[in-house]
Amino acid sequence: MVSPAIALAFIPFIVTLLIRYRHYFLLFYRAVLLRWLRDHATGISREERAFQYVLTHAIPGDPQHILETFDHWANHREYLSNIGPQKGKILDRLIYENTPLTVLELGTYCGYATILMAQGLPMGARLYTVEMDPRNAAVAEKVIRLAGFDEDTVELIVGPSEEVIPQLKEKHGLLKADFIFMDHWKRCYLRDLQLLEDHNLLAEGATVLADNVIFPGAPHFLQYVKTCGKYQSKTHRTSLQYFRAIPDGMAELTYTGLH
Amino acid sequence: MKMAMEVEEGSAAESEENDKTGENKTYGDDEGDQKPDPVHRVPRKRPQRIRVGLESDSDEEVSKSRKNRANQKSKEEGGEDGEDEEKGGKKGRGKNDKKNDKKGKKEKANKKKKDKKKSALLAMLLLRTCRLPRQVATDACMDRIVKSLSDCKHWMCEMDTVMHHSITPEKRVTMAIMKVATLTNLCFIGNQFSVDPCTAGMVICEVCQVLQDIIANSLICLHNPRQVIEGCKAMDSLSGSDSDSEEEPITEEELAKLKEEVEEKKKLIATLRNKPWKMKKKLAVLKEAQLFVEKFEGALGKGKGKKFYAYKVMMMKKWLKFQRDFENFKTACIPWEFKIKEIESHFGSSVASYFIFLRWMYGVNMILFGLSFGLVMIPEALMGKPYGTLPRKTVPRAEEANAMNFATLWDFSGFAQYSVLFYGYYDNKRTIGWLKFRMPLSYFLVGVGTIGYSFMVVIRTMAKNAHDDGGGDDTSFNFSWKMFTSWDYLIGNPETADNKFASITTSFKEAIVEEQESRKEENIHLTRFLRVLANFFAFCTLAGSGYLIYFVVRRSQQFALEGMDNLGWWERNEVNMVMSLLGMFCPTLFDVISSLENYHPRIALRWQLGRIFALFLGNLYTFIIALMDDINLKLEEEKIVRYNMTIWEASLYNGTIPENATAPPIQVDPADVPRGPCWETMVGQEFVRLTVSDTVTTYITILIGDFLRAVFVRFFNYCWCWDLEYGFPSYSEFDISGNVLGLIFNQGMIWMGSFYAPCLPAINIFRLHTSMYLQCWAVMCCNVPQERVFKASRSNNFYMAMLLFILFLSTLPVVYTVVSIPPSFDCGPFSGKTRMYEVIGETLEHDFPSWFAKVFGYASNPGLILPFILLMVYVHLGIYYLNATSKSYKEANLELKKKLQMVNILQGEQ
Repeated sequence: MVSPAIALAFIPFIVTLLIRYRHYFLLFYRAVLLRWLRDHATGISREERAFQYVLTHAIPGDPQHILETFDHWANHREYLSNIGPQKGKILDRLIYENTPLTVLELGTYCGYATILMAQGLPMGARLYTVEMDPRNAAVAEKVIRLAGFDEDTVELIVGPSEEVIPQLKEKHGLLKADFIFMDHWKRCYLRDLQLLEDHNLLAEGATVLADNVIFPGAPHFLQYVKTCGKYQSKTHRTSLQYFRAIPDGMAELTYTGLH
Repeated sequence: MKMAMEVEEGSAAESEENDKTGENKTYGDDEGDQKPDPVHRVPRKRPQRIRVGLESDSDEEVSKSRKNRANQKSKEEGGEDGEDEEKGGKKGRGKNDKKNDKKGKKEKANKKKKDKKKSALLAMLLLRTCRLPRQVATDACMDRIVKSLSDCKHWMCEMDTVMHHSITPEKRVTMAIMKVATLTNLCFIGNQFSVDPCTAGMVICEVCQVLQDIIANSLICLHNPRQVIEGCKAMDSLSGSDSDSEEEPITEEELAKLKEEVEEKKKLIATLRNKPWKMKKKLAVLKEAQLFVEKFEGALGKGKGKKFYAYKVMMMKKWLKFQRDFENFKTACIPWEFKIKEIESHFGSSVASYFIFLRWMYGVNMILFGLSFGLVMIPEALMGKPYGTLPRKTVPRAEEANAMNFATLWDFSGFAQYSVLFYGYYDNKRTIGWLKFRMPLSYFLVGVGTIGYSFMVVIRTMAKNAHDDGGGDDTSFNFSWKMFTSWDYLIGNPETADNKFASITTSFKEAIVEEQESRKEENIHLTRFLRVLANFFAFCTLAGSGYLIYFVVRRSQQFALEGMDNLGWWERNEVNMVMSLLGMFCPTLFDVISSLENYHPRIALRWQLGRIFALFLGNLYTFIIALMDDINLKLEEEKIVRYNMTIWEASLYNGTIPENATAPPIQVDPADVPRGPCWETMVGQEFVRLTVSDTVTTYITILIGDFLRAVFVRFFNYCWCWDLEYGFPSYSEFDISGNVLGLIFNQGMIWMGSFYAPCLPAINIFRLHTSMYLQCWAVMCCNVPQERVFKASRSNNFYMAMLLFILFLSTLPVVYTVVSIPPSFDCGPFSGKTRMYEVIGETLEHDFPSWFAKVFGYASNPGLILPFILLMVYVHLGIYYLNATSKSYKEANLELKKKLQMVNILQGEQ
């Protein structure tokens, strides 16, 4: 039987762990436990709950207000893994600077980033957004329409990215993308980037912005980007959405092509 | 096209805001504006103006300097660009003006003024650095200049897109300087050392790349751009004068010029008397002229003759080369120098300071080892009675069966216990062998000498280091000094170049951290409160763990009284377990707590060291308590054994020859003789065991905690759901505080134990040697540099102070045992005496003339003499310390004087 003295000697260890990883514990509680509980209590998914809240509180047709409502919900009710206000500013700024005519978004989720990008786009620009999960896509569709963007500006494509990308040219008429925003499964970043290269969808000087390259992390993606020589890369170090203390980053790549 | 350049700077600045934004707006005009008002964007654009001013000026400069070359085409291109941008800018400006209110305009004007000033400064700087020595002005170099200037432009454009923090003008200046600095360096190398400029350029570009990265992460900050510029000027003038004096190949033109000058000077010397000057000025001029003539006459083939001059120069060169080689040889002779340099270049001076400390410790232990090995172990092994002649030199009958088993030997009992390795083996004869070597005296003096030498060495090193603390290098032009002077142009080997590259980067990082730290503005009350709070937490932790240790030790003593037999494994090892668990976890807790305090990492390291030191003192306390208990037990046992011995001897005589009173010596096998417990050997064994187990634990921790973790992180990262390298386990950092304290406490054990186990320094040497290699390897292979690389203070006096404290602490128990506990009656060099220090009295009595002994006898009332000696020793050490410090201050004074002179000279030149 272990004596109590030895057990007591473990206290500093436990305290250290608790203090050092408190943000991660909180994240775990909010993103996993709370979600699971609410899912069981209400019977609908988290995204739909978010949408209901937005529907009742936001002003239809005002994209900025819809985004703020999302932020409010994610800050005060439940955690939501869209890109959040802080990283949103970077995205917004990049869209301003590049003024892309065709934008491809991988991973729509609730449509937060889609609205953000769509409101900054120049006239006549078109945004293609790909979502794998049909339920999320349904929510996103409603959110986008609520914000007042029509089919001409934003096109939502439902399907896994590795199937959608090869068909983009024929089915959806996307010849070259000027700006690509990746926020789907972190493990698919590398595969999808290579797919885009293979199908010649990247315009010269196109910007690729990849979210969450540090916290959940996409090591192979970063490694590839740094070594292949086709991109100029830069990492914006910020923090995770709605969690200021957890460091995260966005990778901004500029496609320079092979030369 | 020249017109476009000469437009007033402000408008040019406006015009070139960004081609893209300009396009943007025209685009917006065509399609109907949907964007938020441009007032939003004005602050974003602001910093770019500086860049533009710089650009236009530099372009002008370039075009001027390229007059002799056919460059019409590129010029025209540049001009066209300018015009285009001008148009775009006008549009953009018109719009801005429309939407801005009055106030905004005023602000803008102010800013414009400021920026204008700054851009003028920058232009000056560029002009200065672009003015190159004439040998450089070849076509290839000019191309390079143009290219790097355009690079500079390009790169700054890139920098502007880092949007979540604005770029301060200071940063911009630094960036520009860095870019330009590479250029001058490049030419300089190509010139001075006839290296292929291309390779040199590549190396420097690489350095620059990293610097850019540093800046990209918004680390750099400077007090004042003017300072940097001043620094550049100083550097420029310095390098200029250097290159003048070292110029080797002299062209025809220059030769003629020189001749002329020499002639002129000679004329001056001849006609000096006629000049209407003051005597002082005359003398000065005469001296200067004579020096000049002497210096250059030889080169011109006149005067004393060219041959002699050439010979002198050649010898000078050879001598310099020899000196350099000799320096290289000397550094090659320093053990592990290259390893440590490599580590320093990758991990910064703080990690290197640990290794330097380790090497120093190795040196000290070498001396200790020499003392104990040469004066105690070797004489006893060679000249003393061999194994098996005396009971103390024989394994007892009961232990003979498994005396050679590995488990027994690993535990340092069996044959190891009855060998020269431990106190008990030594004979108490006054002299041994044909040399009449005084063994007990030598043993005692070596014990004293070990500790005395350690005191001396520690204090001397402290005194020597005190100098380095005082006269720090001047911090005025820190960055520009680093930028311009850090590269070593004599590096020829790519690996060395790599290392140098890494070390420059780390030194930059260190400097930046310092700079940031000094500029931090903070809420003092909050910081103070947090620091007090952190100290409170740390104190609570320390008190808690102290109480836990105390509790466990008490309990174990209770267990020992009740008898160990009916206890489980946990109870028996409770003390060790608790100690090692606390030693493992508390430092990490302190680490977490110290993040509250927000100190500079160097100061944080000291706090951390202090806290862990306090924790480890508990360790020492338990160990000594346990030992004292053991000694007391053994002493009691000894009494019983002594009593039994007399009975046994009596029975021996009774059994064999009862009637003969004058007993002839009875032959009994020494293994069968009963013997006392010999507490000294027991103490020695404890220390040796502790040292060995400590070493093994350290190595296993390195292998598991660092190596296996690194392997896991590296290879499992391919198939894991999060980023292991960036995220949770990550690679381990090198734990400076833990390692330093481990080393210090280990040394304390050595000092305490080496009196009872002469082999201890040898074991420690082995340990330090292996750990040097193992840790060097582990650091380079499985650790990553700290997040904040920082510069260790050049002296590691803090380490030394702790070492001194530990030395003092560890001397106390040894002195206590020597002075107050009687030595065992049947083992060791002092057996048969009531106290160990009686050896001295004995020696005095037998080996010195009688009057000396008498005098000494009066004076040597032990109660009086010991404190007196101690006092004397400490006073002497103190005087020694002060003496050494004053010497170092003198040196620092000299250095400062030299610097003052230098400054005067520089000012005079200017």
